[in-house]
Amino acid sequence: MTGLFLLTLRELRARKVVVGLFVVATVVWVALALALQLDVVDGSLAGARLFGQETIEEPFDPDEPLVDAEGDPVLDDDGVPRTRGSDLPFNGDTLLESVVFTAQAFVSGAAYWIGILLALFATGGLIATLTERGYADVILTKPLSRSAVLGGRLLAVMAVMLALVTYLFGAVWLVMSIKTGIWSPRFLLAIPVVFGMFAVVYSVVTLVGVWSGSGPLSLIVTLGLGFVTLVLAIPELPTQIDRTWRPLVVGAYHVLPKFGAVGTTMVPQLATGGDVGALYPLASSLAFGGACYALAFALFSRKDY
Amino acid sequence: MTDLAIHAAGLGKTYGGRRPVVALRPLDLEVAPGETFGLLGPNGAGKTTLVKLLLGLVRPSAGDATLFGRPIAAPEARRVAGYLPEGHRFPPFLTARQTLDLFARMSGVGPTHRRARAEALLERVRLSGAADRPVGTFSKGMLQRLGLAQSLMNRPQIVFLDEPTDGVDPVGRREIRSLIEGLRDDGVTVFLNSHLLSEVERVCTRVAILKDGERIRMGTVDELTRQGRAWRLVTSALPPATLDALGDALSIDGTTHEGLVRSTATVPDRAALNAALDRLRADGVEVEAVEPARQSLEDLFVEAVSGSPRLGAAAEPPVDG
Repeated sequence: MTGLFLLTLRELRARKVVVGLFVVATVVWVALALALQLDVVDGSLAGARLFGQETIEEPFDPDEPLVDAEGDPVLDDDGVPRTRGSDLPFNGDTLLESVVFTAQAFVSGAAYWIGILLALFATGGLIATLTERGYADVILTKPLSRSAVLGGRLLAVMAVMLALVTYLFGAVWLVMSIKTGIWSPRFLLAIPVVFGMFAVVYSVVTLVGVWSGSGPLSLIVTLGLGFVTLVLAIPELPTQIDRTWRPLVVGAYHVLPKFGAVGTTMVPQLATGGDVGALYPLASSLAFGGACYALAFALFSRKDY
Repeated sequence: MTDLAIHAAGLGKTYGGRRPVVALRPLDLEVAPGETFGLLGPNGAGKTTLVKLLLGLVRPSAGDATLFGRPIAAPEARRVAGYLPEGHRFPPFLTARQTLDLFARMSGVGPTHRRARAEALLERVRLSGAADRPVGTFSKGMLQRLGLAQSLMNRPQIVFLDEPTDGVDPVGRREIRSLIEGLRDDGVTVFLNSHLLSEVERVCTRVAILKDGERIRMGTVDELTRQGRAWRLVTSALPPATLDALGDALSIDGTTHEGLVRSTATVPDRAALNAALDRLRADGVEVEAVEPARQSLEDLFVEAVSGSPRLGAAAEPPVDG
């Protein structure tokens, strides 16, 4: 299994896209470190510059009451006086926290949607390659069980992807924490979530790759499935379709992974300290991934090459 | 348990689907350790399927088999085996040395042995000079030699070679042949699958011919190519009286460049052959050569797979002396 693990690592290194992903991750945290200049005074944000442009020009006190043109306090719907901090985005209690959370939400969102997609392109062909004639002949005639062969392959892909996600999120977290003094370890919980969802996506690549032996087909099916799950996640969908199809659509929503729910709710909320809501979307997605892997292993063990 | 290198009992494969295809009909096969066994057959005869079955690449539809007593379904069976597949592919970015190292690691070869073995085998297949070049830059012949080295990295007790000389120039072919002979001398069982019948004839001790998934011939090269109780003679001209006396026992095949007569004596046994020779000498005929009549393996192969008559069955008309 070690041999196949190492071989896969070398294959990933040879695919320049994986190296490129690490370069992009480096560019992200270096850019964040250099471009965002924060003036923090006594734990509060006194000023901020992005790429040298002043974005906050004066000290900001989130507790300062908001007043209208006549000097009267502005009240919210419940009649409570509003302050300058009332509208702070991304669950920040202070402007500084909001800036940190905004940056982290941006990075985690980009890593989830764009990063997983790029990682998929970088690693998608690896499973199908394993089944190609000439290559399979050499590898599958070694004294290794089929499970060890597929397991070694997957282990290497997962190790690289976990390293990539940890590197990106860890570096961004360190940069933001050191610059602001706000240490929010909760952001790091996005690492297992993003990695877990990559593993779910990759389970489809694995299953289709083992079944068809085609790298392009496994990518097309996976992307198609991702699109379908996004459509199924539209809340109004069940009420707008024919009653006959409703159970099918609702059933498909529950069976298939919930990329949309995890990507739009759980990942940003982890980054911004908000309520992540129910774990059902993540748990059911992981269950789907587990089932796909089990099927892929069973198929790979029985197939003729 | 058995100590046979290969023991197959009713081993067969039918590929499923809407129209099932019988790739290999149930086959019994025994190959002893140290044998050099040749597998012949036209394209689609089931040769590669048999090799794939024995190496666990394909699951049998019928029967079972063992390699040195280990069931082929168990990965352990492949610990004693090396395999050079036809049309093998190695990752093009690896160097020859890295390729041998990685694939030997998969075979469970320890790090110290891997290094030493790789050096020795690269030398043996004349790739030492290209040991650190990426495999993607190799010619077909070099790839074939690398594949051969790869198949031997784990010091196998049995090695399956599928078209080992494919794409190799005549010099390389000779080297591979001598390598196979070296393996045989080392007691390694060789299972050779090749279209180059002259090679099979030279190196194999036993041969099987498959056709349409069925074994149609099997035996030693000598057994298969020898034509029953027939001997080829080269003599001076044969007087008509001698021909009349020997009758059907002697048929004329032609003449040599020196004007000598080539004939075939078909007689029941050695005593009858000597009686015929006595008659020739008594009639003043000079005997240049006597040897058992044989087909080439190629003739045998063509005859076996096409059903055409044996060579020499339709002899040329007698030549008067």
